[in-house]
Amino acid sequence: MVVSVCVGSSCHMKGSYQVIKTFQELIKKNQLEDFVELKASFCMGRCLTGISVMVDDKPVDNVGFVNAESVFYEHIFPLAEAQKSGQ
Amino acid sequence: MELYIDAVYESLHKYGEELCGDKVEFVRADDYFLAVLADGLGSGVKANILSTLTSKIIATMFASGAQLEETLETIASTLPVCSERGLAYSTFTIIKVGRDGKVYTAEFDNPDLLYFHRNQLTPIPRETVEIGGKTIHVSHFEAESSDMIITFSDGVVHAGVGRLLDLGWQYDNIVNYVVENLEPNMSPRVITKKLLAAVNTLYMQKCGDDSTVCALALKPSRPATVMVGPPVNGEMDKIVVDKLMYSRGLKVVCGGTTSQIVSRVTGRELKVQIDYENPAVPPIATLPGVDLVTEGVLTLGKALDIIKGINDAGADSLESYTLSKKDGASRITKLLLEDATEVRFLVGRALNPAHQNPGMPVSLGLKLNLIKELAAELERTGKKVTVEYF
Repeated sequence: MVVSVCVGSSCHMKGSYQVIKTFQELIKKNQLEDFVELKASFCMGRCLTGISVMVDDKPVDNVGFVNAESVFYEHIFPLAEAQKSGQ
Repeated sequence: MELYIDAVYESLHKYGEELCGDKVEFVRADDYFLAVLADGLGSGVKANILSTLTSKIIATMFASGAQLEETLETIASTLPVCSERGLAYSTFTIIKVGRDGKVYTAEFDNPDLLYFHRNQLTPIPRETVEIGGKTIHVSHFEAESSDMIITFSDGVVHAGVGRLLDLGWQYDNIVNYVVENLEPNMSPRVITKKLLAAVNTLYMQKCGDDSTVCALALKPSRPATVMVGPPVNGEMDKIVVDKLMYSRGLKVVCGGTTSQIVSRVTGRELKVQIDYENPAVPPIATLPGVDLVTEGVLTLGKALDIIKGINDAGADSLESYTLSKKDGASRITKLLLEDATEVRFLVGRALNPAHQNPGMPVSLGLKLNLIKELAAELERTGKKVTVEYF
């Protein structure tokens, strides 16, 4: 699966750096490196709904650096785990 | 080959004087570069007025196509006459370098200029012309890329008079000093700095006369084109992107949305790097055929800060700055300052929806001002900058 985080001006100012760092750490901690491809992206045109994050082309709203961990466990972890065990 | 002229001058004031009696005027036109060094009679305010008038009149009249005779007549009838000496007098050296390498020089009472051709001191053919009782040495020759022209005022020749040296530094010794110290591809700033440092030492930090050095280096022209911001009218996208992609030299895209437009129009894939070199600067991206892709306002804001810092620190620090960092702002600064000889901005004025929210304190006006300021700072470093709006 592919997770894209926006690093455009607006999202950068909201803290994309921390979100990317958090995601990278959690992917490593859960040994999901082979299943989650983390990408940066420029403006996705969804600047008003928090830091723009796409999980397999589906947007996730209201992401911030405060709730990055819970977003990961809610939206990314289940899908990645399913892929991992399905293999 | 089109040439770019990298020109630098610096002056040391006579000890105790507020103003410098030497004055250098640069004119950067589309097809030539003009430098005028004038040294006014006496020192202080009087000399400053004489040399400022002289250099400004010559530069302005030459730039509008006047001949040497008319220019000198104008100066002779304009300069105020010194009450002590009953003279109106300022020396001058005029150097005009075409972008094709054709050089015209006219020298009046300043020390002879030095011409380095392929790193060798080369004599230039000087003709003597009498105009209004003044003997002027005129020269025409063809220069090449990496050639250098150095000129200085007589304060340099007299360096050390009455202090370390009875007769001063003297012309031949200066020539030897330059020959020994000039290395291939040395920047004009460095040789200017070296010469003046030696002058300052000979005068024991208390200059007996205003001393000025002006150095011109000929380089191959290498323009950079920077596209920043999406055009107001979406139909212009392709036109602006074509202007960028078909431009000669370095190509830069600033802005997330802008780089997506370039990617769409060219059909090439935009890859944003996920590794942050510096958490404060958004990461850069890659796009085939473009030399550098960065985020927009934040990166340019940081780049402006860096360039401003370098400009304000003056010549002392210019040698030592190293822009080896890999974040977007440092990269674009290095590209604009060191790699490019002239810069053309293609500025799109569309309102960016990304900036229309309370969390993003950037207005369109702020962005346009940022580019204006950046252009002004780049001009201060001696680059030719053009800005086009879409």
